[in-house]
Amino acid sequence: MGVGRAARRVLDSVSLDVDAGEVVAVLGRSGSGKSTLLHLLGALDRPDAGRIVLAGNELTAQPARALARTRLRHVGFVFQSFHLIEELSGEENVLLPARLPGAARGGERRGRALIEQLGLSEIADRRPHELSGGEQQRFALARALVNDPELVLADEPTGNLDQENGAAVLALLRGMNGRAVVLVTHEPEAAAIADRVLHLGDGRLEAAAHTQAPVRALKSV
Amino acid sequence: MRAAFVQAGYGLRLRRRRSLVTALGIALAAAMLAASLVVSDSLGRGFERATRAAGLADVIVRFDPEPAAIVSQRIQALPDIATFSLGQELTDLSVGADGHGSSQAALEVVGPGRRGYAIVAGRDLDNAPDQVVVERGLAAAWGIRLNSLIQIAGLPPQRVMGFSEAPDNVSYPLAVPRIYVSQATLAAQGVELGQSVNLAQIWLRDPRYLDEVLVQARATSYGLRGLQFVTRSGVRVLLDQAAGIVIDLLVALSLIALGTAGVMLAASARAEVQQRLAAIGVRRAVGASRAHLAATQALEALLVAAPAATIGTAAGTLATYGPTSRLLMMLNEPPAGVGLLAPLAAGWLASVAIPALAVAWPAWRAAGHPPVSLLRGAELRRRRRSSSPRGGPTLATPRPGLGRRWAPRARLALLGGRLAGARRARLVATATALGFSIGFVLLLLALASALSALETDPGALGKRYQLTASLPASAVAQVERIHGVQAAAPRYEDQAADAFSLGETIDVIAYPGDHTIFEAPPLTAGSRLRRPREAEVGAGLAEALGLAPGSTLAIELPSGTELRLRVSGIVSSLDHDGRVAYVPAAALLAADLSASEELAVRVRPGANLTAVSNALGAAAEPATTATGRGVPLVEVLRAILRAIAIVDGLVCVYALIQACALTVHERRRTVAVLRAFGAGAPAVRRLLTGAVVALVLPAAGLGILLERLVLGPALARLAVNYATLPLSAGLPEIAAVLAGLIVAGAVAVFWVARQATRESVILGLSGT
Repeated sequence: MGVGRAARRVLDSVSLDVDAGEVVAVLGRSGSGKSTLLHLLGALDRPDAGRIVLAGNELTAQPARALARTRLRHVGFVFQSFHLIEELSGEENVLLPARLPGAARGGERRGRALIEQLGLSEIADRRPHELSGGEQQRFALARALVNDPELVLADEPTGNLDQENGAAVLALLRGMNGRAVVLVTHEPEAAAIADRVLHLGDGRLEAAAHTQAPVRALKSV
Repeated sequence: MRAAFVQAGYGLRLRRRRSLVTALGIALAAAMLAASLVVSDSLGRGFERATRAAGLADVIVRFDPEPAAIVSQRIQALPDIATFSLGQELTDLSVGADGHGSSQAALEVVGPGRRGYAIVAGRDLDNAPDQVVVERGLAAAWGIRLNSLIQIAGLPPQRVMGFSEAPDNVSYPLAVPRIYVSQATLAAQGVELGQSVNLAQIWLRDPRYLDEVLVQARATSYGLRGLQFVTRSGVRVLLDQAAGIVIDLLVALSLIALGTAGVMLAASARAEVQQRLAAIGVRRAVGASRAHLAATQALEALLVAAPAATIGTAAGTLATYGPTSRLLMMLNEPPAGVGLLAPLAAGWLASVAIPALAVAWPAWRAAGHPPVSLLRGAELRRRRRSSSPRGGPTLATPRPGLGRRWAPRARLALLGGRLAGARRARLVATATALGFSIGFVLLLLALASALSALETDPGALGKRYQLTASLPASAVAQVERIHGVQAAAPRYEDQAADAFSLGETIDVIAYPGDHTIFEAPPLTAGSRLRRPREAEVGAGLAEALGLAPGSTLAIELPSGTELRLRVSGIVSSLDHDGRVAYVPAAALLAADLSASEELAVRVRPGANLTAVSNALGAAAEPATTATGRGVPLVEVLRAILRAIAIVDGLVCVYALIQACALTVHERRRTVAVLRAFGAGAPAVRRLLTGAVVALVLPAAGLGILLERLVLGPALARLAVNYATLPLSAGLPEIAAVLAGLIVAGAVAVFWVARQATRESVILGLSGT
């Protein structure tokens, strides 16, 4: 898998398999291509060469409409800056993907259950600017899960949070049973929750062996 | 300054598509402004130009033929006379040229001295015989060329030496054909009219003393009969009444178009500056001055506005100059020509300066913030206290009865509405501007319908008969036997004069029985005539003579007999400016047996009018409509109104596209988030549909109410105060405008959604 933009090869010969229930962390410096990798996995972008297969479907050849459907049914995103919609309450933000045309049934019920599970019921009708950063990211997390996706992609999910809130969000990501989670970060602490930690540098993805011990230690968080 | 130019050019290249939308708005506003300037300047100052060119007399006096010496003596006795000229006007002459003809032409025999008309092509008359000058309007209508020949009854073929414009009256075909001939031509035929004149043109030293001169003229005109005075100011008032409506409409429309475009441009500029706050903050932080930043934005706007305003101004001018010049020709007024350059240049300047200021001002304000707050993404305005999330409709509450299939669509549209409503002040301003535009488009449609009805439908005048036949009253039974004829009756018409002042001419119409079977103009006061000595009078006549139900109408008929009738009611009639009277046939015929007679034929609903007309033979004629001789004027007015309506409609489309584009532009991240979670192009379209509906619904409501309650009635009063002109938009007009709005909204939604979904989701999320 490789992406070339403006005569610059961002990812080169990258190969990555993520199993259901596995949490993979991708570490790397700013500008190393972490976010590009995430966008490719999430069907937001297309590679210039290579294949991406998600839940048995090859994304590479799919038209834009089919990619949108893939994102709707199979992918959940968690962004660094939450990207909650200002005009909607926390609950409405969570339920938004479930209410898009073509979404699988049961999304709203699942969304309310997630709000309950994440301890957000009391503040579900608040607008984003009335919420703390941690609360916003928990709503964002619930939104990412509302359509029951097989793959959750988290782009620097703790980048805008303090240590305590960051740890809580990481714990939630760790606890997503049965889903494949890919989180990109430049913080080793965040990578510590992963089953597998990879390092992206010079367009190449390699295993980062030195992080294995903390992973096992933090798995019980 | 060079740096500002470079940055402006860079910004322009970067925002090519948005600049195109902005340019479209500026071009439309400039087109509207130019159209308004062309029509209002041409019509508003046309009379002034025409009188200056023609040297129109301050007073034109018509009277029964008298020896020139006597008339000269009377005029010389008046005070403050600068000069005067005498002539003879012959009316109801047969003339013909190039296959056209008229039996109602007026031939003006001009004597020595000033002539009161301008030569706009060719040359004026000299002392040679067999030469004529014809009005430019007549020449255009009949295709008369210079040096061609024209036939005038009683004279040999006359050579056309020049075309004239005399602003004391409108031109053919609105009035009878007017031709000027010299006394030498008549002398060559042995006709000596010099001793018998019926027309005098008088120029005053100081026109401010006109009233005093008129008072004196009436007092010293003993011996002159049939006196009729026409003053320059009187002509102006009459012409202004017609042109004033068009000018008022145009000025209002152009203000609305400018307002709409201004609101959208200001909103767009503000959104643009809001998005560039961080960049502005960086520049401020590295030492760029506030003025430099504002100048850069203004320059960028200028680079967009200058070509757009040029195209718009040219388009607006081209669209309206032709129809306006045709209208001016009919009014006997010259086109504005190079005189338009100054106002058009001012309009162009405004079209360029306003967008530049609209951009520079928010940039100036933004640059006034501390760089630190700009870098943190400060808002241009102070953040409003958010309303309670519990208030108002929420996305979480599905509407009862909304099925699963429709619920997501409705919710997305609802979200779109909320996104549009988040900028409340702008939504109100845009909806108001759009509402005014809709109101005016409705008014134009209602006006066009009314004009069409007046032109083609006799029923618009309250006429219920469709045909007339030049047959005697004795043929009624025979006509009623024709298949498809519902009723027939003799219709008598006479032209009378007010017996007291003899100034007002009155169309007197009579039927032997109930006239409402054939003509039923709406009754506005009193009751229908029931008794032999009663009359219904038009509102125009009632106003002119101060009549009310119960008053006495005294009219002098052509036979010289005076007829006195009691006014039973006032009717709304457009015929003869409302100066009509319906009287019993017996009363009219007792006073004047020479009243013209024809049969009015009412056709059954659904019957074949052509078949009935054919059965009646050559005697049949379609019933006259309100516009009559004014059909060409109506056509020109319609062309002007159509051009304005099209530009106004385009302004509506622009406002909708810009509103959608702004919603997407400002909510770029929201759209990107939706797309990241799987929303495709249809979902984005639904979102935008909600934004458009939030704008269009209140605007349409406002527009409809505005037209029906304010604009329609106001224009109806302005147009004719002697009749009820239905200018309130009806269901067809409202349906047409709503359909147009749906189409415009759909165009806006599809276009903007296409642009939005073409953008990379990643770029949208990053907000760059």
